[in-house]
Amino acid sequence: MAHVSDFLTPADLQKISNLQVVARQVVEGFCSGMHRSPHKGFSVEFKQHRQYVPGDEIRHIDWRVFGRSDRFYIREYEEETNLRATILLDMSGSMNYGRNGLTKYHYATRLAASLAYLMIGQQDSVGMVTFDTKIRKYIPPRSRVSHLRVLIDELQRSEPGGETELGDVFHDLVPKLHRRGLLVILSDCFGDVPSLLKALAHFRHAHHEILIFQIWDRDELEFPFKQWTQFESLETAGVKHLLDPVLLREAYLENLEKFRAELLRGCRRHKIDLVPFVTDQPYAEALAAYISRRRTRG
Amino acid sequence: MSLPFGFINGALLAGAFALAIPIIIHLFHKSRFQIVKWGAMHLLEAVIRTNQRRIKIEQIILLIIRAAIPLILALCMARPVWKGVRKLMGETRTSTIILLDNSYSMAASRAGTSNISLAKDEAERILNEVPRGSDAQVVLMGEGGAPLLDEPTYDLARLTQSLKPLEATYGTATVPAGLDFAANVFGQMHESTRNLIVMTDFQRVSFEATEDAEVGQMLDRLHKLTIPPEVTFFDVGTEVKDNVAIESLDYSRLMVGIGQKIQIRANLRNFGDAPYQDLRVYFKADGKERSMAQIRLGPHEKGQVLFTHAFDTAGSHVVEIVADADPLKADNSYLASIPVRDKIPVLLVNGDPSAEPLKGETDFAEIALQPYSSTGRVALADLISTKVIRTENLDAKDINASAVVMLANVRQLDAGQLKALEDFVRNGGGLLIFPGNRVDASWANASLFKDGKGLLPLGYGALAGDLKEGAPSVGIVSQRFDHPALDLFNDPRNGTVSDAAIKMWYRMKEPASASANAPTIIARLTSGDPFLVEKQFGEGRVIQCAIPCDADWSNLPMRPFYLPMMQRLSIYLASTVFPPRNLEVSKPLVAFLPAGDAGKKASLSLPDGTAREVPVVKKGERGVIEYPKTQQPGLYTLTSPSGTATHFVVTPRDANRICKS
Repeated sequence: MAHVSDFLTPADLQKISNLQVVARQVVEGFCSGMHRSPHKGFSVEFKQHRQYVPGDEIRHIDWRVFGRSDRFYIREYEEETNLRATILLDMSGSMNYGRNGLTKYHYATRLAASLAYLMIGQQDSVGMVTFDTKIRKYIPPRSRVSHLRVLIDELQRSEPGGETELGDVFHDLVPKLHRRGLLVILSDCFGDVPSLLKALAHFRHAHHEILIFQIWDRDELEFPFKQWTQFESLETAGVKHLLDPVLLREAYLENLEKFRAELLRGCRRHKIDLVPFVTDQPYAEALAAYISRRRTRG
Repeated sequence: MSLPFGFINGALLAGAFALAIPIIIHLFHKSRFQIVKWGAMHLLEAVIRTNQRRIKIEQIILLIIRAAIPLILALCMARPVWKGVRKLMGETRTSTIILLDNSYSMAASRAGTSNISLAKDEAERILNEVPRGSDAQVVLMGEGGAPLLDEPTYDLARLTQSLKPLEATYGTATVPAGLDFAANVFGQMHESTRNLIVMTDFQRVSFEATEDAEVGQMLDRLHKLTIPPEVTFFDVGTEVKDNVAIESLDYSRLMVGIGQKIQIRANLRNFGDAPYQDLRVYFKADGKERSMAQIRLGPHEKGQVLFTHAFDTAGSHVVEIVADADPLKADNSYLASIPVRDKIPVLLVNGDPSAEPLKGETDFAEIALQPYSSTGRVALADLISTKVIRTENLDAKDINASAVVMLANVRQLDAGQLKALEDFVRNGGGLLIFPGNRVDASWANASLFKDGKGLLPLGYGALAGDLKEGAPSVGIVSQRFDHPALDLFNDPRNGTVSDAAIKMWYRMKEPASASANAPTIIARLTSGDPFLVEKQFGEGRVIQCAIPCDADWSNLPMRPFYLPMMQRLSIYLASTVFPPRNLEVSKPLVAFLPAGDAGKKASLSLPDGTAREVPVVKKGERGVIEYPKTQQPGLYTLTSPSGTATHFVVTPRDANRICKS
């Protein structure tokens, strides 16, 4: 059954200021659109039968065993170990780009909220780290439903700005994440690629699974500017370049491709999933990517 | 100092200023930039770092290319030429003009070959030798320059072919005019190397008056052209020591009737140093030799030969006088077309008829116009036939059946008569108006004069003089008459107008200031008042006299000059009905045909033997043919749609000025 959010673009959802509402819209829309509930698939696993004792719930009696043996047996399930996921949200200045009102940061916060909603709904533990040049906030993973409120409050409170150097921040972060888990990085990954890859390798060394949602704006991928333009840096004040973008476009796209290829190559080497996202793509695709990753891990 | 290059269309260079447009657009765009807060600066900066120099160079190159497009376009449209190229490249395509002297003197021959043939051979050789892809034109110097083809051509074979039938028959060559014409023709040519070859016999007439001044000026003009041509003078002259020319013909009559004798006087001149003892001069009529005369002509002397001839049929006739003289044949003969009329119908409107002989208003005039018929000497033919009617009987039918209408002492005309008369004159008819004691001057001024817009040349003023016995009389001023109707009296042998005695006359109101359309005073009385006044009205003419045509106020009808004057006036007025048959070159050839021929085509054969079809256009009550391209002297024969042939002779201007140093 289709859900209303299937037809909502990120730009539409941007109008909803309450992140929790957004997250619920996205996730429930996404789940109801699937043929099989993810809940059935991995949250409860059959373990063994045991003899019925008074006080057990009748609905847990396995009637097929009763039919065969004429005795009451109860089906016992083993509760699955909680997934520990940590969302790493990039709050650097470059995430603040977006010409049509929806910035990459806004897209990332909504995506983070949706992911958190989905994960907590599946009894996974979700934590969150916001950072730019350094770690701004670290919220350890919890699986309580009330924890979602904490995460969303933090997302709504934070504002991007400043420079970024992912490599350094990630190195600093490794010791804080004691238990291995899934790291969901929401970032444009701008910066020095070798340094970033080194930091990611550090995470991998600590046995973390890594899923990177690389957030792009369409302008950054296509460089569609036609008239003379002064590009002013979102991260470093005072850095600006006046140029005819038409003359630079080809070289820019070439450089972009090189950057993306280098990053992708490094991620593959470290078995890291790199999923590029453009801010005009629906969030559901991000959730699908997460689910796919979750299944692989499970 | 002259630049080594030039532009054919220099004015278009102004378009080069358009190069500023891309620069302005570039600066405008640069000044109106947008600001983008950019995140992926590390990607951009890396590109800027590595491409900054290349981009700057590209921008400059792009700007140069954009600015160069209008500049190059303007340069191309201005058609630049590098003047030095011709010196470097032997086989460069050229624009060549051959200024060919085709004057009379070029007909001079030596060893059987005329100068014009030599010139044509040389011109053909030059045209054959110009590099392939060149354009050329031949300009004929005779009569101020005429292009051989309508425009310069790359088809040199066609140009050479057009040269072949060329003959030396075009009067004198005018070198400055030819050079001027050639300078204009260069404006239509396309190659950057230009040659002007002047082929002439350096005849004195062409050069003597203009050698230092005008030719120099014209050569200066050629040198100041954007691409100055190389001018080469090519002497194809053969010295002519002997030259006799027939300068002109004079006729004893303005118009000839059947059987009337016409005297044709040929004026000859010997331009050479050698005397002619017995120069034979032949008279030919319609191609047949009719008579021959001999004349003695000393060096540089003039002489005349008189021939008399009578034509026995009406229509167009051609006479030719040929002098059997020097090898310069072109000016040894003179052609003329003589129209022979059957009759010239003149309608006399008698305003004061009388039963007594010679008392009627038109009696004297009738006798003067057809003297032989009036006296019963029918053996001699009158050219003019008269018809006398009373004023009240005047109608459009009679008017249109006449060539000339004479109003004699007519008091008034009714509106219908007046309109018919106006239409008649407007379409080329002649009107002769004599006043008298019956004339209603105030009506004439109101209806005939109409403040200068009517038929009457001048309004009638007060009557002057006195008819009493012994009262003083006035005469006609005897002067040299330029008017063709009276120039007869410049020769005293034809009588004099001075012995007229006029006792009464009408004064005429002369306009205070002369204007272009003002009537012409042909003759005046000794009192200073106009005697004869002429006015053009439409295509016809009106002549107004100050006195009657009978003997009431003067003794004119008794004087010997009365008859020739009346005849001359009538024939002159009738001649306007017939356009001239003998024309100067370049004057339009005009012929009147019946109205029924309008819309059809007549055939015109030209002196070179070719024929053209000429449309007959309806104008007024008749069909008219006009053919303006009479640059070629000689005999033109027009055959009307009904098969009637009319001859026209086109004579070169100044044909007599043939001489050789």
